[in-house]
Amino acid sequence: MATITIDHRPYEVDDGQNLLSACLSLKINLPYFCWHPAMGSVGACRQCAVVHFKSAEDTRGRLVMACMTPVNHGDLYSINAPEAQVFRAGIIENLMTNHPHDCPVCEEGGECHLQDMTLMTAHTQRRFEGLKRTHKNQYLGPFINHEMNRCITCYRCVRFYQDYAGGTDLHAFGRNHQIYFGRQENGQLKNGFSGNLTEVCPTGVFTDKTFSRRFVRKWDLQTAPSVCEHCGVGCNTAPGARDDGKGDPRKLRRVVNLYHRDINGYFLCDRGRFGYEYTNSPQRLYQPLSATSEPLICTTANGEEKIQQPLAPGDAIACFADLVDEALHNKRRLIGVGSPRTSLENNFALQTLVGRENFYAGVSAREMALLKLSDQILQDPQLYSPTTPEIEQADAVVILGEDISNSAPRIALAVRQAARQVQRQRADALHIPQWQDASVRELESGSTPIFIASVEQTDLDDIATDVLHTAPQAIVEFTKQLTAQLHVASTPEDKPGTLEKVAAALRAAKNPLIVCGTGLLSQPLLAAAAQLAQTVACQHSSKRCALYLAFPDTNSVGLVQVSSATRNLDSLSQLLDNSDIPTTLIALETDFYRQMHTSAADKLLADVQLIHLDLLHNATARRADLVFPAAATPESEGTLINSAGLAQRHYCVYEGSGYIQESWRWLANVAAACAARAGGVEKIPQLGEIARWEHVTQLSDALAHAYPPLAPLAELGPEWNALLDGERVARQPHRYSGRTALYAETAVAEQPPPRDSDAPMNFSMEGIPFAGRDPLQTHNWAPGWNSNQAVHKFLTQVTGEIQGGSSGLYLQREPETFETFETFETFDHTASPGEAQAESDTFVPVPLQRLFGSGELSNAAEAIASVLREPVAQFHIDDAQRLQLNSGDYVRFRGFAGKFQVTVGDAAAPGCIGFITGYTSPLPTGTLPAGDIERVTSNTPGGSG
Amino acid sequence: MPEPPPIQQLSADEIAEIEHEAAAYPTRQPLGLEALRIVQQYRGWVSDGALQALAHYLKVPVAELDSLATYYQLIFRQPVGREVMLLCNSASCWVMGCSRVQKHIRQQLNIGPGETTADGIFTLLETPCLGDCDKAPVMMVGTEMHRQLDSEKIDALIRALRERHHSED
Ligand code: SF4
Ligand code: SF4
Ligand code: FES
Repeated sequence: MATITIDHRPYEVDDGQNLLSACLSLKINLPYFCWHPAMGSVGACRQCAVVHFKSAEDTRGRLVMACMTPVNHGDLYSINAPEAQVFRAGIIENLMTNHPHDCPVCEEGGECHLQDMTLMTAHTQRRFEGLKRTHKNQYLGPFINHEMNRCITCYRCVRFYQDYAGGTDLHAFGRNHQIYFGRQENGQLKNGFSGNLTEVCPTGVFTDKTFSRRFVRKWDLQTAPSVCEHCGVGCNTAPGARDDGKGDPRKLRRVVNLYHRDINGYFLCDRGRFGYEYTNSPQRLYQPLSATSEPLICTTANGEEKIQQPLAPGDAIACFADLVDEALHNKRRLIGVGSPRTSLENNFALQTLVGRENFYAGVSAREMALLKLSDQILQDPQLYSPTTPEIEQADAVVILGEDISNSAPRIALAVRQAARQVQRQRADALHIPQWQDASVRELESGSTPIFIASVEQTDLDDIATDVLHTAPQAIVEFTKQLTAQLHVASTPEDKPGTLEKVAAALRAAKNPLIVCGTGLLSQPLLAAAAQLAQTVACQHSSKRCALYLAFPDTNSVGLVQVSSATRNLDSLSQLLDNSDIPTTLIALETDFYRQMHTSAADKLLADVQLIHLDLLHNATARRADLVFPAAATPESEGTLINSAGLAQRHYCVYEGSGYIQESWRWLANVAAACAARAGGVEKIPQLGEIARWEHVTQLSDALAHAYPPLAPLAELGPEWNALLDGERVARQPHRYSGRTALYAETAVAEQPPPRDSDAPMNFSMEGIPFAGRDPLQTHNWAPGWNSNQAVHKFLTQVTGEIQGGSSGLYLQREPETFETFETFETFDHTASPGEAQAESDTFVPVPLQRLFGSGELSNAAEAIASVLREPVAQFHIDDAQRLQLNSGDYVRFRGFAGKFQVTVGDAAAPGCIGFITGYTSPLPTGTLPAGDIERVTSNTPGGSG
Repeated sequence: MPEPPPIQQLSADEIAEIEHEAAAYPTRQPLGLEALRIVQQYRGWVSDGALQALAHYLKVPVAELDSLATYYQLIFRQPVGREVMLLCNSASCWVMGCSRVQKHIRQQLNIGPGETTADGIFTLLETPCLGDCDKAPVMMVGTEMHRQLDSEKIDALIRALRERHHSED
């Protein structure tokens, strides 16, 4: 701690930091541009000038840049000294000579750091009368707008894009007066974190194009804390919604970052930021549908698909209740299929309705086995799933098979920071503070040892010290050899091979990190990674080792906790095959045609009655007898458990349009209808409490009692009726406009806002308006700070925890050392990729992950859908030559639906054929004989599977 | 998908010269600027195609190379005339009348800064200090420095250069 004096007042600050971050941590206003909490200082913009006095006798002092000045005990500063104020106002005035002053038509307006700083420095009169320089803008793809005239040349964009995220296609061009930030030519920004430019740029140069289409000002958006539903990382988001008052059901307008120190910090990936558009997709379900037996004119249904008609919600509930009644009288069997992409509460409601023995996880046996195995591994007390700041500090990283840039993108961004750990250690040795970004980056140092084994080139290869592109089986072998190598006492002095080098790095590391996941669908790989991590742990002084396991879906870990390993889609198929009891299948947010091969899904659904609760009218919904429109993550409250085992609650940002409501509410409605018929809830004890549930927190509490690992759910988040100082939390900022006018077109009387029965929050501006007073308030605003930079006002200190602590609670896993690995039984006995060996002229199908393409929901988002490629089959260059295939050819695989475009890569694994997950139903199983590959002549019309 | 190979290729001479330079550096990373200069020497300017070919050859992102190219004033990303006139506009030359010189050039050649004459002989560019302040105003053409410029000197220079190029043609 150091005591410093700012404008005659003493303050206690952490030493080692710079004066700007010290001021902001103290919540003292000081303008800045080029500094960024996650990227440190470069002293480029000169906006943060203050006066530094040598001693109490020094009355003149000298101007220094706060962001470049380390705080030392006894330092004397003045922010308010007239020289400093005049200097800062002058900087802004200079910057503004070229700024177009187009705030009214600028989408940054109202949340613009430049506006805030201009006002803060009191530069309110324009004196400049000359011509302003102008630029041509570029087309940067479907996600980001470009308006270069607004640039103030702070360089934050390229510092983020290149230095922090490793992008290579955004640069600064030209010099002096004409500096230009953009691409070499028009085209989509290629880096998967490009969306952060919209938040990093302090002006309106880069803005969110998806938001542009139905833009409103920040103050007209209502928000609530949410969790990204697009992968297992569990980044925190603040979606913004607004009803247009004219009946447009598409209320969600955008997603921005919500700071969580241990997960996403200041940044999201592009799938998470732009994936939200699925909620507004034309495929969205807004009302219940029922299949009709009457032929309809003009129907678009084909094949097994049903002809469906809208049904009033009450009638739909009654139909459903009839079936439950039959089941209660043992005339029918109800089977529930749960989902890893929706909350625990939704899954639990279904499980309660059908009974645990009838609850099946909506994933294949193979995937279920992988999830159970991963969950078991993470129970090992020697292994722990690291937080993002911990990953960034890793000084030896081994990534085994998992393409985290595409399957857990935010984690990949953290690993990219770890690449500089050796450089940062060197800076420490030289007493250069870490925040001196330019100086630290210039340091000559070795690079952090990062080893990547993968089945294709990955986006992290550029920071890897060694890469191995090979088949899954070979990655397993390598991992085992590496574990064995760790037991060998010493490293050969001369010419160590990769194996020896990686082993030596792991042994020497202070913070070793192993990364793996379910992406390659290989149990042997997971087990080998776990054993490697255990060995590293044994040799480490702390007896622990960080192991990040990437799970595929937002609530995979949650689903595992409430599901049995043996009840999955494959065992369900078997069950239905061997019985003729009339069965109703209740599918919760599961698309069978994504989880299973078309023929298998057809067979599964052939003889059952299907009730489907989901967001989109997908292939499963199209053949359901009864369809219920379910609330999406930002439209509901619930609990998700991320890959690290952190239980997090997402809150309802806005009420879904039409008849959308949470899946559990539909189920509770059905149970209540049954209870009413039976003459009271107590008459049907089989259904338990379900008919009584009114608040989602009741389900969370019930879950906490039903499953020991979920016990923390009882403590997570406030009860629906909790109040803070007698108040609920406002979702709308107090400047939210149009409250009385929005619906005046149809009715003059002001409608009461909807009531939230799940959280102590209002769908209005009444209640607690400021983030910081309550974690439920996410409207990122503080007096003088309209931009997202306001976040520092709500943190304990810059880059620290949010005041009141990071949200979320870890699962209570029983500590149990992971010892023997017996493959969890899979019903599909064909080898999974990690076990298959390519024999001569057969190929191993391997799953590939893509940021855009592998996400089920995000693929239905308009902008993301516009950049999806057709399904591909990726070959190693030698294999392609042998088969005489060229990039761009089309092939089919016998017995597997769809045609695929061939891509040929020299970094693809030899003997493997890569298929992108998410485009097609699951991979072909087993190995693919070369003879099964048929070339498709170019103009054959091709349906994709 | 691997990037398609660039349409333009570097010539064997260009490559040889780049490799010769490369030998003088410990790593290939700082080679970009020299390579741009070499390509420009052979082609007069660096077109988009030449830039892509060079980026491909050096295995650096094309944006990074263009960032470098556009930063340096003497790397031309647009075609220039055979004679590039670099007229200093820094403080001393400004005091001593570089604007007058510029005006006179405009009268004689009908070009302003950044423009090239229709016959493709002259391009006029402004440049920061050339280090000859005591002889201001100054201008550099090719490798020659022209000092204490006035209308007569400019006229003579233009005449001489024009004749040289006409006789060459
Ligand atoms: S585009 Fe934005 S972030 Fe980049 S330099 Fe300009 S103002 Fe700064
Ligand atoms: S990393 Fe995953 S959780 Fe985070 S924003 Fe991206 S898709 Fe969402
Ligand atoms: S923020 Fe300090 S110089 Fe830019």
